Amino acid sequence: MINSVRNTVLSILNKNNYGYISPSDFNLFAKQAQMDIFNSYFGQYNDQINKENARISGVDYADIRKDIEENIDIFSVNNPLRLFSSNKYFLPSLSTTGDQFRMITKIESYVTLLSSGITTAIAVANNECEDSSATFLEDGVSAGDVVALTVLGVVEYVTVISVTETVITTTGVVWSIIGTAYAVYRTSRKEAERVSNSRIHLLTSFNFIGPKTTQPAYTQEGELAVMYPEEINTVGRVRAQYIRYPKDPKWTFIELTSGEPVFDQSPSDYMDFELPVSAEMILVSIVLQYAGMSIREITAVQFGQAKEQSEDIQVKK
Amino acid sequence: MAYLSQYQYYNNAGQAPADINWGSYQYLSLYEVVNNFILIYTGNHSLVNNEERYKILFHAKRAIQELNYDAFKEIKALELEVDAKLKFILPSDYVNWVRISVNRDGLLYPLSENNQAMTSKAYLQDSDYDILFDEDGNALSPEFSSLDIKRILGEEKTIYLNKNSQYSGQMGHCCDGNWYFSYQMGARFGLNTATANANPTFQIDKKSGVINFSSGVTGELVVLEYVSDGMENGNDNLVSVNKLFEDYIYADIEFALLSSKLGVQEYVVNRARKRRTALLRNAKIRIGNIHPSRLLMSMRGQDKWIK
Repeated sequence: MINSVRNTVLSILNKNNYGYISPSDFNLFAKQAQMDIFNSYFGQYNDQINKENARISGVDYADIRKDIEENIDIFSVNNPLRLFSSNKYFLPSLSTTGDQFRMITKIESYVTLLSSGITTAIAVANNECEDSSATFLEDGVSAGDVVALTVLGVVEYVTVISVTETVITTTGVVWSIIGTAYAVYRTSRKEAERVSNSRIHLLTSFNFIGPKTTQPAYTQEGELAVMYPEEINTVGRVRAQYIRYPKDPKWTFIELTSGEPVFDQSPSDYMDFELPVSAEMILVSIVLQYAGMSIREITAVQFGQAKEQSEDIQVKK
Repeated sequence: MAYLSQYQYYNNAGQAPADINWGSYQYLSLYEVVNNFILIYTGNHSLVNNEERYKILFHAKRAIQELNYDAFKEIKALELEVDAKLKFILPSDYVNWVRISVNRDGLLYPLSENNQAMTSKAYLQDSDYDILFDEDGNALSPEFSSLDIKRILGEEKTIYLNKNSQYSGQMGHCCDGNWYFSYQMGARFGLNTATANANPTFQIDKKSGVINFSSGVTGELVVLEYVSDGMENGNDNLVSVNKLFEDYIYADIEFALLSSKLGVQEYVVNRARKRRTALLRNAKIRIGNIHPSRLLMSMRGQDKWIK
């Protein structure tokens, strides 16, 4: 889609020889345009809910809310959160999960911790790990349970295939380093409720409804999620479902001798727009506005605004 | 509870304990209540939205507590041996008592509550009747007040009732199960019905968390029937509610949330209240088990001659 958008924008700009935008400028405008549209989905979604509550919305093909939900859910991902220390886990970020979050949909944690420790021996070929101080059978570890561990800073999950008192055989080739911290959980997870920092103390001191592993809670401290009860403090115990930001689009090209760049999507840093095809018209309109401002051509800006408004009205209708 | 196969129900799928699922189908767990409520009764198009889960959990547990106090017919019973101090420590989940009986020879004899003071706190006094204090300014107390000592030692007189005895109706001392009477002169008039019982009496000291008995029950087995609040000593996994009250619980949570929320129209709150009240009434009737067959069994005795 990115090449199509670029060609359309250039075609409009060049119609009256207004000007030309370079690939690097286009990539900046494309990123900005994609972010504009992405952020607008959330406001549109709320507007649509209000319309539904006012009974001025339809179903089936008139179900705009479903359309917007689908657009947002393109960016919905579920990733484990890396343990920082004690009961604190890193929220999704480029350095931990590889993406930044716009909104946390839910944080959930494994209810039952069966065993945790550090591997003392491994058998890579057999997918086995050994912890000489473990008591897996006594702890109730059995086939089907989940083992979490951190490999090169990334939390990995494997499933228990068989178990003895000190050795676990799992799916997946993950056991490569002796001394890796691991934890074994039952498969069931419970959603943690976000609680404001001003309320968490009241909640934790109130046994009646205070956080438990079956009804966990969390607060946010900077880039960390602080889990309650505090016994939630082992590797891989917490996962997050969140809406990530779209990745930066990048129009990549081959430089020809004539100087004219030709689209090429083979480079590894190529990135198309992540928005659905239905957003292409608005993308063109917004990129056109930024490009128009760049080349100081107000007519292009006004044209882009008019097209965007027209598209917006169509959506609202 | 979740749907189970017959094998899971009867044998717990071969796991111990085998009887853990027996009767479970009657109940809905606390988590199911909260999950179902959030799923069905909250959201963008519902009366309740943007509420924290812990509030819903709070109201769900409060509703279950209230039901346990009067609507559920789930009476717990605890049997303990009464110690030499004539005390019976209340169970950890005790909220209110239903009946207290003494277990003698395999028969339960219901005991009467004594409204008169049976126990008291005491302060040490000097010869001028001034209260004595410790270095922190707190009044000094003996372990037992003289009232307690008399009760424990059986020195307090109580009425002896036994129509087959010549001492029936007389004041006497009960000590270690034996009765001792003073020499009787003249007739006795009046009867304190609060204590007029051949069996020992009791009084519940709520603050101290014990039941105090009159003399004569040391070493005997006493059965306390009581109601709890259904919170299962804080283990939420065990908290459940009978399915007959399921709709009522949802209605109660909804009403509690709507009535405490700013800006909710009064007619909406009233509607929620009426729904809640009606559902509670229905559930109470249902759990009352008033079946025609039961009525018939009782009515069959109407023509019986009473001699």
